[in-house]
Amino acid sequence: MHLSARACAVLLSLWSSSVRAADGTVTLATGPAAYQQPLPGLTGGDFETFREGAGVFRAAWLKGPSIDTPRFTGLGPLFNRRSCVACHIGNGRGEPPAETSDQTRSLLIRLSLPGADATGGPRAHPAYGDQIQTDAVIGAKPEGRVSFHWVETGVTLGDGTAVLLRRPEIVLRDLAHGPLPAEIQMSARISPAVFGLGLLEGVSGETLTKMAREKKADEVRGRVNMVWDVGRKQAVPGRFGLKANQPTLRQQIAAALAGDMGITSSFLLGDECPAAAKDCREAGSTPEIADADFEALVRYVAGLAPPPPRPRDAVAAVGAKTFADIGCAACHRETLEAQGTVLAAYTDLLLHDMGGDLADGRPDFLASGREWRTPPLWGIGLVGTVNDTAAFLHDGRARTLTEAILWHDGEAKPARDRFARLSKETRDALLAFLGTL
Amino acid sequence: MGNPMNRVHALALASALFFAGLPAGTAQAADSEVVVLTSYPEEMTTRYEEAFERAHPGIDLRIVWQQGRDAMATLRAEGRGGIDVYWSPAAFNFPTLADEGVFLPLAVNRAEVPGKIGVQPISDAARRYEAFEVAGYGLAINEKPLADKHIPMPSRWDDLAKPAFDGLVVMPVPSEVGFAPSLYDVILQDKGWSAGWAMLSEMAANASLAQRGGQILGPVIDGKAAAALTIDFMPRNAIAEGQPLTLIYPARTAFLPAYVAIVASAPHPTAAKVFTDYVLSSAGQKLLFRREINRYPIRPDAYDDVDGKTVNPFAVSPGATYAYDLSMGPARGPLISTLFNVAITARQDKLRTLWRAIQAAEAKGVSPATKEARALAGWVPVPDNDAVAAKVIMSFRPAKADAAPTAQMKAWADALDERQARALALVSK
Repeated sequence: MHLSARACAVLLSLWSSSVRAADGTVTLATGPAAYQQPLPGLTGGDFETFREGAGVFRAAWLKGPSIDTPRFTGLGPLFNRRSCVACHIGNGRGEPPAETSDQTRSLLIRLSLPGADATGGPRAHPAYGDQIQTDAVIGAKPEGRVSFHWVETGVTLGDGTAVLLRRPEIVLRDLAHGPLPAEIQMSARISPAVFGLGLLEGVSGETLTKMAREKKADEVRGRVNMVWDVGRKQAVPGRFGLKANQPTLRQQIAAALAGDMGITSSFLLGDECPAAAKDCREAGSTPEIADADFEALVRYVAGLAPPPPRPRDAVAAVGAKTFADIGCAACHRETLEAQGTVLAAYTDLLLHDMGGDLADGRPDFLASGREWRTPPLWGIGLVGTVNDTAAFLHDGRARTLTEAILWHDGEAKPARDRFARLSKETRDALLAFLGTL
Repeated sequence: MGNPMNRVHALALASALFFAGLPAGTAQAADSEVVVLTSYPEEMTTRYEEAFERAHPGIDLRIVWQQGRDAMATLRAEGRGGIDVYWSPAAFNFPTLADEGVFLPLAVNRAEVPGKIGVQPISDAARRYEAFEVAGYGLAINEKPLADKHIPMPSRWDDLAKPAFDGLVVMPVPSEVGFAPSLYDVILQDKGWSAGWAMLSEMAANASLAQRGGQILGPVIDGKAAAALTIDFMPRNAIAEGQPLTLIYPARTAFLPAYVAIVASAPHPTAAKVFTDYVLSSAGQKLLFRREINRYPIRPDAYDDVDGKTVNPFAVSPGATYAYDLSMGPARGPLISTLFNVAITARQDKLRTLWRAIQAAEAKGVSPATKEARALAGWVPVPDNDAVAAKVIMSFRPAKADAAPTAQMKAWADALDERQARALALVSK
């Protein structure tokens, strides 16, 4: 979904502490609903579709048949959650299981075997597919349960400040089809926030390629993931997903519906049960989201505005300068060109080697097991406002932005090391700046 | 772990916790899962899943999500759909299913879970199902349009029927919006059946009718309307999200329960009891205060630590609520919905014309003609006696607003046409 340049221009010019939507709705844009606001340029029927899509986003799906909600039948038979909103409460991020006894709720485990499938993407496990589905309709068996065992380590910063870091070890139990082979590749992913994506879709492949070719400081590289476009049946630049493994918002949403909820769409038809999962196939049907609902859902997600940045005081202004000076902005670019307008998304949407400790060892199209897409930072200052708990990085291991920065390695090592050497005052200024995003 | 940075040093591995070494959560919990049928919103069930499984790590909470009619079908089917616990705001299902023998009696400590709010019972006397939370019915107000038009804050339901509120009210259509039959029954039980319908008819002349839950607050938030009749958690959630709304409880209202019950044939009876005990416990009740849930606990002790902004239904003034008859409301929901569609939804334009004419005539002076016109305009084709007669009430089935009219509905419409034409003639002379 590409938004008009006018909509983007309107967005940039109207950013303020409140948002007035096309129908006159005025909402506090920096409160708990900060990630649920429509782009200011949405008008008339587009705004109605947005509202309709919000309903689809919140709907709980069920197996069916249904007298009350036949529109939302076809859940599973295997799934992770029954609705979009269950993983993206307040349109915000998911969180990892805090304790070893907790199960995953808004985090999933991607799976693959070494090698690539026919499209160049990850090779799914014959029984478990490409993710562990932790729930199932009554009559089918969940693929397994997932939790984390946290391993803690400490870091001492240049000024002597000690920071406790934690990294997860994935704990699987009740595996429905027996143990996973030793060569299995697993990657834990918390659900991401879902605003601003329609604007990012406006960043062209040419822009991505141009940014990848630019010479950057600190030997930062950055490259474009080339991924399979189901509609066009060809490899195209990837933008969405933690490894930029989805080319379009439409495909990203269809894949999430199919993988996370067991909902097929006209866009992604097919049996969501892996070939070897006999009880899964016997328990379920081949459900389908109505085309109009799918379209509304895509347009809702595409139409969600990033929250407006809050004013920078003198401290945050120092932090903004530090952000650029120490090299953060090499990847978290302050501006991104999209359809003739400029987005303050703080990303380049490119893949970067983030080092061994963040590596998941699971390649995804061109992305290696050490590479991750630069996540946008817009709205990151409101994470704690939208959700009770903050969890950063792909698996939610970082409880604070400081922890998240300290996990950076690989291409980001020089910037991370500079951050670790900052005085507390300057470090706090940098964090204050991030808090205004 | 490798070496993420120069000055990193490993402190210690976390204590090695493995599932085999964890306490079982409950000594008696032999069941490894509990299957709960619910229609609560996803944000809410997610928080309960997290909290329950943390409190009882040995039991997986599996949710089956169904709204009222689907849930009835599931719980009436052979094997009750494998359901252990029914936990739902679809309050009207519980007495029916209890009478059909679907539920087991619950052991509840009445010292902690009183089963009533003031003079109003909220739980089943036979303890076959228990109140889990209550919701009040009130008004979501946007004060700006009121201030712009110099209209005082409403304090009674009747205030919204006044001419000053022309175009400023949102009323949910009870056949389309799940909570609305109970909302109107709260008004009708308080004001009396005939007087209540007359008031609703006049209010409808001021209102836009919301066919979906999502349409109720939108116009008020936008400032196009000033007041919406609503269940309270909707504006409470919107207020928590920063929307410019005020929630008021007009005199008089009621707090109605949602219930939890254990299915007699529960495949996991021990876990079912653990779950119901949890949701009725102090910890389970306090979860209701979470921002994304925002509902009222049924345990007085859950309110011990709340701030002054939180309404405590156990502490509202005696005059604000009344002894609402819980057995009546759910039963006559279909009657209220059907009558609303005939007497209001299908003739809202006519009502607007009629009530404006009456109000205009009254402004010139109340007369026998205006009094007669008012009586005719507010007439409802179901008499008071029928509205409490079980055989009349039970003859109605839920039907959507666009359902084909029955012979009875046509007869009602004809009778309304005739009286309202006379009323209009009286004030048009």
